[in-house]
Amino acid sequence: MRVVHAFIKGVTRLNDGIGRWISYLIFAMFVFLLLEVFNRYFLESPTVWTNELTQLLFGVYTVMSGGYVMAHREHVNVDLLHSHLPPRVRAGVDIFTSIIFFLFMAALLYFGGSMAWESFASRETSYSAWNPAIWPVKMAIPIATFLLLLQGIAKLFEDIAIAINHPSTADSSSTTVPSSTTGDRS
Amino acid sequence: MSIEMMTLLFFGTLLLFLVLGLPLAFVLGGVSVIFLYFTWGPDAFYLVASQMWGTMESFTLVAIPLFVFMAMVLERTGVANDLYRMMHLWWGGLRGGLAIGTLGICAIFAAMCGVSGAAVVAMGTIALPSMLERGYDKNIALGCINTGGGWGILIPPSILMILYSLITGVSVGKMFAAGVLPGVLLMVLVSAYIIIRCYFQPELAPALPKEERGTWPEKLRALKAVILPILIVVMVLGSIIGGITTPTEAAAVGVLGALISAIVYKKFSWQMLHEASLRTFKLTGMIMWILFAAHAFSAAYQGMGAQALIEGLMTGIPGGPWGIIIAMMLIVFLLGMVLDPVGIMLITLPVFMPIVTSLGFDPVWFGILFVINMEIGYMTPPFGFNLFYLKGVAPPSITMKDIYGSVIPFVAIEIVGLALIMVFPKIATYLPDALF
Amino acid sequence: ADTIKWKVQSHWPSSSSSYQDSLVRLKKIIEERTDGRLQLDLFEDGALFKAKETFNAVGRGIVQMGTISPAYAQDKMSLAGIASGLPFAFRNVWEAAYFHKNLGFEDMLREEAAKHGVYYSTDKVYPTEMVIKEPVNSWEDFTKLKIRSSGAMQKFLTEAGAAASYLPGGELYPALSSGVVDGAHWGAAQGASSMGLYEVAKHHVKPALNIAGTDAFIVNQKALDKLPEDIRKVVIDALDEQFWFRTNEYQYQEQIALAKAMEEHGVKVNTLPEDVQARLAKAAQKTWHEEAKRSDNAAKAVQQLRTFLTDLGYL
Ligand code: NA
Ligand code: NA
Repeated sequence: MRVVHAFIKGVTRLNDGIGRWISYLIFAMFVFLLLEVFNRYFLESPTVWTNELTQLLFGVYTVMSGGYVMAHREHVNVDLLHSHLPPRVRAGVDIFTSIIFFLFMAALLYFGGSMAWESFASRETSYSAWNPAIWPVKMAIPIATFLLLLQGIAKLFEDIAIAINHPSTADSSSTTVPSSTTGDRS
Repeated sequence: MSIEMMTLLFFGTLLLFLVLGLPLAFVLGGVSVIFLYFTWGPDAFYLVASQMWGTMESFTLVAIPLFVFMAMVLERTGVANDLYRMMHLWWGGLRGGLAIGTLGICAIFAAMCGVSGAAVVAMGTIALPSMLERGYDKNIALGCINTGGGWGILIPPSILMILYSLITGVSVGKMFAAGVLPGVLLMVLVSAYIIIRCYFQPELAPALPKEERGTWPEKLRALKAVILPILIVVMVLGSIIGGITTPTEAAAVGVLGALISAIVYKKFSWQMLHEASLRTFKLTGMIMWILFAAHAFSAAYQGMGAQALIEGLMTGIPGGPWGIIIAMMLIVFLLGMVLDPVGIMLITLPVFMPIVTSLGFDPVWFGILFVINMEIGYMTPPFGFNLFYLKGVAPPSITMKDIYGSVIPFVAIEIVGLALIMVFPKIATYLPDALF
Repeated sequence: ADTIKWKVQSHWPSSSSSYQDSLVRLKKIIEERTDGRLQLDLFEDGALFKAKETFNAVGRGIVQMGTISPAYAQDKMSLAGIASGLPFAFRNVWEAAYFHKNLGFEDMLREEAAKHGVYYSTDKVYPTEMVIKEPVNSWEDFTKLKIRSSGAMQKFLTEAGAAASYLPGGELYPALSSGVVDGAHWGAAQGASSMGLYEVAKHHVKPALNIAGTDAFIVNQKALDKLPEDIRKVVIDALDEQFWFRTNEYQYQEQIALAKAMEEHGVKVNTLPEDVQARLAKAAQKTWHEEAKRSDNAAKAVQQLRTFLTDLGYL
């Protein structure tokens, strides 16, 4: 059980750590967009790369958020029934509905991977005027899916522990990042 | 299996897993996968990955994290709180004054931004706590943010109007112009509702006690709070109208304005930026994963033959031309409860538009009806983007049930607005006819 | 007999004239000639797959047929850049048609597509033309332009001296209207009018920036091979006829669309001054040269093009 507990903690830390770095991309998007406005309007010489780079960063930023958002339990759900269930029943329900989650992840992992691999194999570029490589951004899909999948497995372990009433593994702090370290409202 | 049966099963499964509490993004994605398997075969799962890539590549969505970031910075600076304090001081005697102020801010936000998500998240962060703190009823507070937050697609610029134009061939300029007066109409209707309701039920939106309403010097000093927000609005709108930026780029100008405000308020720090960026990441991620899956979901539904269903429904409707228009609105309304607007447009418009034009109706007018109906779709349960975005930012004490319940009167008012524009088409067509 | 159903992902929105005139036309012809044994289910732009993803989807056989612009298949076909148009090459539409069909360019395209399990057939050749807010009367006017463009054309316009930037289709109208950009190209007259561009930009520039086979049908080879012999022949013949029919019809529609824009929106034709044309044609050589470097096939195609244009007395 200790191994499981360590796994849950490790995965959550991993997703939190990666998310913290990726979150800074917002500054890059902000700067590049302003730079383009400045170049086009004031210098009258738009660049070929700023908007496209912003778009590619946006792609990485959004897709890579999946695991981080899940580690913080911020993927919204409907709590009409869910929040009123006793913890063990709720864990049981979550174990059941996780089938849907894992199907989604499996499809994304396999076909996102296949799409990324195809792109990598041909060293796909965007064929815009700037023409950057886009395979790294496509590669972010399977990577992000894998991270989200790990977090989902961690959540599943936790739910199983709750369902079978095994409190030490089900320590509620293990899959949710304590809010004091996230700078989030608590 | 017939498409009617498939539709029932498809949406039934969606509802089941939603009620069981699985996060929306995973419900949409997973249910798509199940149905793709049975209707199309496992190879079609590629569609899920491909739709995700398509959404990642959509430049106009870049506005979402930027406007969210702007809101997060503004919240940290205390500008928002000062603004609500100012409104309370000035309109202290008016019951529901803060809600109406919120609607006004929503309308301004709508003019700055062409998508809906950013406005809802921003207003949910800034306005919701401010109203709740001052004793506003959560139904009023949630409802007015839900409604006002959706105006982004009706008041120009609007990405959905551009999409409507692309699908139907109607001029974008005319659509933009046509959205202005209906936007004003909805604002008047919703404000009137709040004033009347709160007049009779003062406990919903308490006025500021007389002794706290402040003296004139205090009121005037509080006015300072509007300077920076106005500066930001002028920067953003000015750069769009002045031809300096596209609507998407204008979002970056908004962030610049927010950062300037932070410096002026002496709240600028790396810690503040770090915290704002983390929250932005969380909220954008929540929004975008819903969008990823929603796009896959509606593509899967189209692959199942959704358009054939609409074609079938459109044959043999009684009641003449108006019967047909009302039937169309009803279909869009029902689809709005369970599908995303882009999907609804792709499914219905190719069927509707030839009928609309052959009946002699103005496609610009129809477009406005359609867009308002999409806006309603944003806030009708069980699946509405605004509902979920708001849930994502609301304090934990607000449940989905609260949010679902709060929208009912507001949906009814928007339907009244829709009916008014149906009966008096001039509300939509006056401006475009005068300008073009 | 059994009916076969194909899903067809279009890159045209249903409001585009080509959706009706190219795609629905082909559907009707095929269904009529096969007595309904092969039926095409049409999906408009983005419904199942985005335009850039359609080649992959057809190659994998997830949808059996699609329409694309060759620019969306550049990572798969080294000739795609040439197919989607070298600037200032052909002067008349018939020349591009002759180059495709009589000089073997279409066959070269087919060979490249076949490597990915795709049968390629050009829908039509047609010009790409620019609309601008203020007329160009001198080279200086041209270099002052801020143009919304994309891909190879953006590179060419930038190298030629204008300020070309990319904006997504959805931002085009507001950007042109407020003056973020002064000009744009979206197809030619029909494209510009479908995007409402003539409301905000009143000058239609001639000559064309390029003339090319910018719309094409792609069919999954396995799906095509699986068809009964007679149906397969119907499909292939219908696609071949389509090219000639649509190339001709599109020219007619272009002229009608331009005439209508002049009548309704007061649009004027702005023919670029001789010296501007000459400088642009010279700048275009660099783009050709770069395309030729992409593969042996591309080098061969550009060489054939040069020979052809020299024969015509243009080079
Ligand atoms: Na808007
Ligand atoms: Na809804």
